[in-house]
Amino acid sequence: MTRPRYPAAALGDFAIDVRDLRKTYRTPFARKKVEALRGVTFSVERGHIFGFVGPNGAGKTTTIRTLMGLIRPTGGAATILGEAIPSRRARAKVGFLPESPYFYDYLTVGELLDLAGRLFGMPAAVRKRRADELIERVGLGRARSQNLKKFSKGMLQRAGLAQALMNDPELVVLDEPMSGLDPIGRKEVRDLILELRDRGKTVFFSTHILSDVEAITDRVAIVARGQLQATGTPAELVKRTTLGIDVRVRLPAEIDTTALSEGASRVIRSPDELSLMLPADADVDAWLSRAHAAGAKVLEVTPRHETLEDLFLRQVAAADAPKESRA
Amino acid sequence: MIGRIWAIALNTFREAARIRVLYGILVLVVGANLLALVLGEMVASQNARVARDVGLAGISLFGSLTAIFLGVFLLYTEVQRRTIHAIVSKPIERWEFVLGKYLGMGLVLTVLVAVFALAMIAIGGGASSAVTKAVVLAWFEVLTVAAIAIFFSSFSTPFMSGIFALAMWAIGRLTPDVEAAARDASPWIKAASRVTLEIVPDLHLFAVSGRTIDGEHVSVHADMVSWGYVGMASLHGVGWIVALLALATLLFHRRDFV
Repeated sequence: MTRPRYPAAALGDFAIDVRDLRKTYRTPFARKKVEALRGVTFSVERGHIFGFVGPNGAGKTTTIRTLMGLIRPTGGAATILGEAIPSRRARAKVGFLPESPYFYDYLTVGELLDLAGRLFGMPAAVRKRRADELIERVGLGRARSQNLKKFSKGMLQRAGLAQALMNDPELVVLDEPMSGLDPIGRKEVRDLILELRDRGKTVFFSTHILSDVEAITDRVAIVARGQLQATGTPAELVKRTTLGIDVRVRLPAEIDTTALSEGASRVIRSPDELSLMLPADADVDAWLSRAHAAGAKVLEVTPRHETLEDLFLRQVAAADAPKESRA
Repeated sequence: MIGRIWAIALNTFREAARIRVLYGILVLVVGANLLALVLGEMVASQNARVARDVGLAGISLFGSLTAIFLGVFLLYTEVQRRTIHAIVSKPIERWEFVLGKYLGMGLVLTVLVAVFALAMIAIGGGASSAVTKAVVLAWFEVLTVAAIAIFFSSFSTPFMSGIFALAMWAIGRLTPDVEAAARDASPWIKAASRVTLEIVPDLHLFAVSGRTIDGEHVSVHADMVSWGYVGMASLHGVGWIVALLALATLLFHRRDFV
């Protein structure tokens, strides 16, 4: 497990700096305690794209809502753009997309952006110009006159992105921005995030979609059970270690594959093919010779490296292990 | 700051204007005024009198019920539907949000009271200084009741907030009767009623017609209270509104929006 590094810089030199953040919910009558955050520490450098990854209930949304002043932490400290949370001054420079955003459904997207602009203290002419730009930018030009009530989930997500960018923020915090979007929409959001980074903005986003994280983030944090499990660049986190060798051969159905499958994992036998993963230290040449002798024709031999998904699953399993061993 | 509060108020007004129940209430009040007209015809030369009585009672009753309805729902639904997430994450303080919600509701209630009053005047009540004073008092009553409802709504469900607000409204309106009833009661009941009356706004100050104040019989048809009294009663209402909104903000400030 990669331990979080505590940068020597003072609190406030980062776009986001979170130290030992804790949140415990107490039910008033049952006297039950739920520890949503159990000492989360990480920092986001200015100008970076930072991916915040974790399974459901890991504490991603609680962390984000705490940063945005929606939830009061029970311990620890955090700064946004150098201001201790909750800070109205910092929020003026932040754009926020809530998870599964809910907006006033009687407004049009233009009216929603106008309301956001008013809350940011923007003059009427600037609000109008900026709203027009953003409506086109997120692809809602055709739905301009519709009430948000008639929007699909994907359209609401786009409207949410537009209101998050209304104030041309220094830091953009997006809670599950890809949620509800089709592959084209996801690509558009990825492009938008990259464009924001190119314009010097910092983007902090949470997601379940690991391929997006791997593709666009400068740094990643994996959170599970209210604690940070690992943080670093995707390259740092995903070691180039070979997990095994994926092999796929064409093999007549009547050939017995028991000997060839020995020691292998992920064995799939179809009528005329056999695919499996040999251990990383297996003698591949020897295995291929045996396969040839049995009448097989090699279709594919690929070393399999660890992916962010493998790391994610490993970290989440490790976080769950103490609980299971107690059970 | 004013721009942010106004933005919330305007949006609240827009939200409330979409609630169909309000239009039902409008129809009901105008209908009650028309009924007053018919009743007035039945009692010779009493048209204006009946129209004024029914009209003012309508403003007070339906205005207060609407204030409770809006107060207990509008703040609660913001939290329940999570629309508040995209709002309080903007550079707005929570007290600005609560004040904006209240002002938006106040705007809706002001329009309602104005429509009720105009209907009363048009249907036969007639405009006079006494009627204007009575309408201003009823308006402040409605605004105070809205603050009571929003206070309970800052920490409770609409059902419970509605019950609490209705109870406070009833006790506030019946303060002199409660005082009179407790006069000959046991010391415990006396003490309990005194404490209760201390923490409830004196809403009876706003409903003066037909009562005796300082030994003088007050009536919207004849001898109405002075503008000085209206000013003092309104200030009393404003004091309660400020106190209730401050408490609501304090409670709202501590809330987690999960």
